Formats: sequence, C-alpha cells, structure tokens
Amino acid sequence: MNRPGPDPLTSSTFSQRAHEQLGKPFLRRAVPKATDHAYNALRDRFRDHDYDALREQGRRIRADAVEHLDEHLATLVAALERNGVSVHRAADDARAREIIRGIVRDAGGRRVVKVKSMASEEIGLNPALEADGVEVVETDLGEYVVQLDHDRPSHIIAPIIHKTRGEVRDSLSRVAGRELPDDAAALTGFARDTLREAFLTADVGISGANFGIAETGTICLVTNEGNGRMCTSLPRVHISLMGIERVLPRLEDLAVMLPLLTGAGTGQLITTYVSLLSGPRRPGEPDGPREMHVVLLDNGRSALRGGAYQDVLHCIRCGACQNVCPVYRQVGGHAYGWVYGGPIGAVLTPLFRGMDAGGELPHASTLCGACDDVCPVKIPIHDLLHGLRSDRVRGDAAPRAERVASSLWSLAWSNPWTYRASVTFARVGTRAAARVPSGLVRRVPGAARWLDGRDLPGGPRPGGRR
Amino acid sequence: MRPRIDPARLAAIAPTELRPGEDAVARFVAEVEAVAGTAEVVARGDAVDAAERAVLAHRPLRVVLAADLDARREALAGRLETVGVEVVHYEQADRATVAEADVAVTGCVAAVAATGSIVTGGAAGRGGALIAPVHVCLVERRRLFDGLLDVLRALPAIGVGSALSFQSGPSRTADIEKTLILGMHGPKAVHVVVVEGDADS
Ligand code: SF4
Repeated sequence: MNRPGPDPLTSSTFSQRAHEQLGKPFLRRAVPKATDHAYNALRDRFRDHDYDALREQGRRIRADAVEHLDEHLATLVAALERNGVSVHRAADDARAREIIRGIVRDAGGRRVVKVKSMASEEIGLNPALEADGVEVVETDLGEYVVQLDHDRPSHIIAPIIHKTRGEVRDSLSRVAGRELPDDAAALTGFARDTLREAFLTADVGISGANFGIAETGTICLVTNEGNGRMCTSLPRVHISLMGIERVLPRLEDLAVMLPLLTGAGTGQLITTYVSLLSGPRRPGEPDGPREMHVVLLDNGRSALRGGAYQDVLHCIRCGACQNVCPVYRQVGGHAYGWVYGGPIGAVLTPLFRGMDAGGELPHASTLCGACDDVCPVKIPIHDLLHGLRSDRVRGDAAPRAERVASSLWSLAWSNPWTYRASVTFARVGTRAAARVPSGLVRRVPGAARWLDGRDLPGGPRPGGRR
Repeated sequence: MRPRIDPARLAAIAPTELRPGEDAVARFVAEVEAVAGTAEVVARGDAVDAAERAVLAHRPLRVVLAADLDARREALAGRLETVGVEVVHYEQADRATVAEADVAVTGCVAAVAATGSIVTGGAAGRGGALIAPVHVCLVERRRLFDGLLDVLRALPAIGVGSALSFQSGPSRTADIEKTLILGMHGPKAVHVVVVEGDADS
C-alpha cells in the first residue's frame, strides 16, 4: 500500500495523534459501540463455560510453545519440508521483504492477492512489492478499503472500525466509476465481484499464519469471508508469512486455541473458515498451488526470549485487549502510530521499534488491568506495560516527576496488598480530578504532561483486577 | 513434554466440544442453523433425492459436482441433466467454467457436531466448495465427530492431502459498520444433508 508521508510513530507524539483522533465524532461513537459488541459476544460465548479454565489451558500451550521455541521450530521446518514446502528464515523485516520479492519475481508474479496479515503490515510488504511493479490486492473487505484509501488498519481484526459506511461507499465508488448505493449489502456485493476477478487472475497468494502446527507441518488460517481459502486455492504460488512465535506443537492444540482465538476475537464458536494447509497440490488433487513457501519472521521476536517480556510472544492477535481498553476505546488504533494498537500495541511497539520511537506508548494506559482479564492466553499485559514504563524511566527518558511516581508504583508492585491499595488510591485520585476544572489539574506539577490529550479514565473497572 | 489434552476436562470447559450425553446429530443441525446454514437428516436411500431437491431449489443453470461424491455423483448428474441443468465435474472443468456455476455439490472428509462445521478437501479439492454462490454438502453420519478435539486427533489417520478446510455456514463479513452480510467471497447459502445409516462403499 502506498502510504506517502512520514512514519507517524516518529514524526508525531501519542498526544498529537490522540488529539487528532478525539476530534473525529464517528470514531468516538463507533469504536466503543463495535468493541462493546465484540466484548458482549465473548461474554455470551462463554456464559455456560469456564473461560478462565480454558484460557489457562491456552496459556500453558502458548508458554510451552515459546519456552521450547527452537525445538518446535525445528520440528515445524522438518515437517513443512517433508510436505514439499520451501521454508525461508527472515531475521528482520528487510530480509523478509527481500525473500518474498524474490519468490514473486521467480514465479513471474504480476498480480498478488493477499489475506489480511498483521505480520505483512509489520514488515511493510505491499509498498516493497509495488515498487517492483507488482499489483497487490488486499482481499479482506476491510483491508481492501484500507488499501484503496492509503490508510492503515485500526483494529487487529476489524480494520475499518473507524470508517463510516459513507466513507466506504466513497472509496468503492471511486473504483466503480459511479455512485454506489449507500447500503452495506450492495457495497459488499460490488467488492465481492471486483475481488473475484483478482482471485481468478492472480499468480501469487500471500497470507499470514494464525498458527503453524509443528507436528504435521501445517499452516492454519482463519477467516470469515473465505478470502483465506481463495488466496490459497487459486493462485499457482502460495506464500505464508509467519511470526516464529506462532508455532503450536500439536494439531490437537487447535482444540484449545481455536475457540480461544475466535471466541475472544469475535465471540464466534469458530470462524466460518479454518484452513489447514500442508503443502502444495499433490498428485490426484484437483487444484491448489504448485508451490508453497513459508517465510519464518523473527524481526525482534527471538531477542525477547528469556527476558522480562517473553510472555508477549504468547499473543495470538485476537484483538480482545483492544476491545476492553479504556484508552483504545477513546482514541482508536491510529493514535498508537504503528500497526499494532491498544494494549498489545503499547507493549509490542516499543519492543519492536525501540524505546525512542515507541517508549511513550506504555504510558497510554490506565493500568486498569482489563486487558489481562480478557486475554485468552492470560498475558500479563499490565505487568509488561508497567515494566516498560520502569525501563523507560530508568533510561532517563521520562520527566522527573513521573520517575518518582513510577518507583513508588514499583514498591507497591512487590506486595499485592499494597498494589490493591495503590490502585484504589489512583482511582479515588482520578475520580476527584475528574470533578475539578481541567485547568486546575493541569496546573498540578507533573500531571499536565500525563493528562495531556487524554480523557481522565475512571480507574480500574469494578471487578477488573481481583 | 506437556501432557496431551484431557478430553473430559476439555469437554467441561470448551464450547467446541459436546456435553456428556448430548446428541451429535441434533447439535450439528442446531449449530449449522445458528450460523445461517440449513441442514436436514435423511435415510441412506434418500441421499440423492435430498441433494437433488436442495440443488434445484436454487434453479441453477450450471452445477459443479465434486469427485468425493463417489457413486452418488453419477446418479445426481443423471437426475440434473434430465431436467436440463448443465453438470460439470470439478476436477475436469476449467476455472472460468467453475466460476460461472450456480451451485456446487461436495461430500466431506469429516464434520464436527459441536461447531456445525463440515471439513472438505481431498478429492473435492480446495476451491470446489467455495466458488459457487450455493454449496450443498453430503455428510455421512459416520464421519460426524463430536467436537474439535476428536476430529483433530482423527485427521492424520484419515490422510487428508495438502489442504483441508473447516467451513461453518455461509461466508460472512461485518466490516462495514458491523452490519452482517452473508456471501462475501465464499457461498451465500450452505445446505448440509446428513445421511444416516451404515458405511457406503
Ligand atoms: S495480548 Fe491477548 S488479548 Fe491482546 S491480542 Fe494478544 S492474545 Fe489477544
């Protein structure tokens, strides 16, 4: 996707970006509504089931996968190769782009169809392919609109959560060369017909990977629209870009991970489509790609192993933490400045892009803990955010007043009782602050910067952190 | 080594498994309907009749039949051709022909009661069940598994080829202001015929 202009993460501050987003009335209505919808669907899905017990199983599976990552990756690579898949390893984003450009070039690829993939956003794949003269078509409806608008997705699984139907109509009408009706079914129908042509004529399909199953050498892809299946069935080459941490040791692990991923993401029992892809077309099969490639992307992941932030590698990119985050719900995904927004973005961005670029994002949080409570693999996001804040403060990159507050917070951290007391205190503090004129709060030393560009949060939600 | 998943424990906590004593066929039909699919249960001898009825309800001009229908494929093709419908065998047709079809009929490798999923692949291929706007799928009762864990454990032994797809109801999107629309890239309508009785072949 051509996204002209500077990198938002380095050319603006969170506060500037958040201000801009807060000025968008639709966003401020739509994001809370859509995220409530997703969260309610999650709650309903697990109403008669023990979500906590299931996510504990999910946590164990992901912790084992990441703890023994080398072993599982070796098994995965061997199994993929047995299945006739070409496996490539990319240490960083530049190498991943180079590998994929090379595969597309060797295949004589002129038109690429893509399944929504956060990893491909992470490595900036589309502009690299387009620079080679390759036409790249995003086929997830939301991603397609994002691409037409030279925009960025603003939610992990609902990329155009920030767009009105009218805006979608304008974008698609430009493609159609006529005014399309203001009706979701008609707009969807137009996109379907346009993208169908792309599926039928593309040479290469590129997807991410929700999971890579080590034991069987299988890439698992979930979609609702069916574009995952189209992209991996029709073009003659399929390339899957997989973050190395997305490995699952056994096929049966999907019996835990799929209901967690789809339940936490959308509240669905299972997504409409789950593809299990174990290599190129085999003799006797009527269709499928002649070549399948898996590109294993490190890009900073292995460096997190054994450190304080290893648990972030358990993430399955379900988006649930975004749905419950009081900051994300106000400012949307673009305020975070990079591909991952919300609590998970506030952790991943400084880790992947460095403290200089992303170090302020862990501060874009109320530390309310709602993300911990919803995360299907029980990542202690709140601890990770707190750790990143401390790291930044120790690196002397934060103002002095905040440094003092943070070290008090660390003290409280070592003792759960004090922690609870400090959260209670913080809640009383913000509630009290919310009642006084904002000018007054902004004159309190140290508060001004922290509060700048933010609505005062109400502290943890009741029952948020027990 | 992390221990394997305990089926009884999983069934107690995961919505994608059957409850103890729950009837698999009834749950399967209920879950297919819950995701906007339709389903019926027929006796062995009525499978071709049911498939024919389901296909003709959509007044198709062209129907694609997958190879995994086995002996039923010839029977169904004969019936459809008698009433003037063009019949195409998926593995023999070119893409443009398949792209213009109105209905696709396939069998399946497996089905999952607790999730209302059919699992296609093997001789039906990857795209056969996906391209036409209507999909009719015949499910042998003996291929209906209780939950996700059962089916995942059985798949390696079934020997399923290069690609399998779980599909649960029609293709959908809610990207535009959360409005649910059926039939994004895959079929708008999915009808499942569960065939009771003993093994075929
Ligand atoms: S951190 Fe947890 S809740 Fe957030 S996207 Fe990752 S898995 Fe989902």
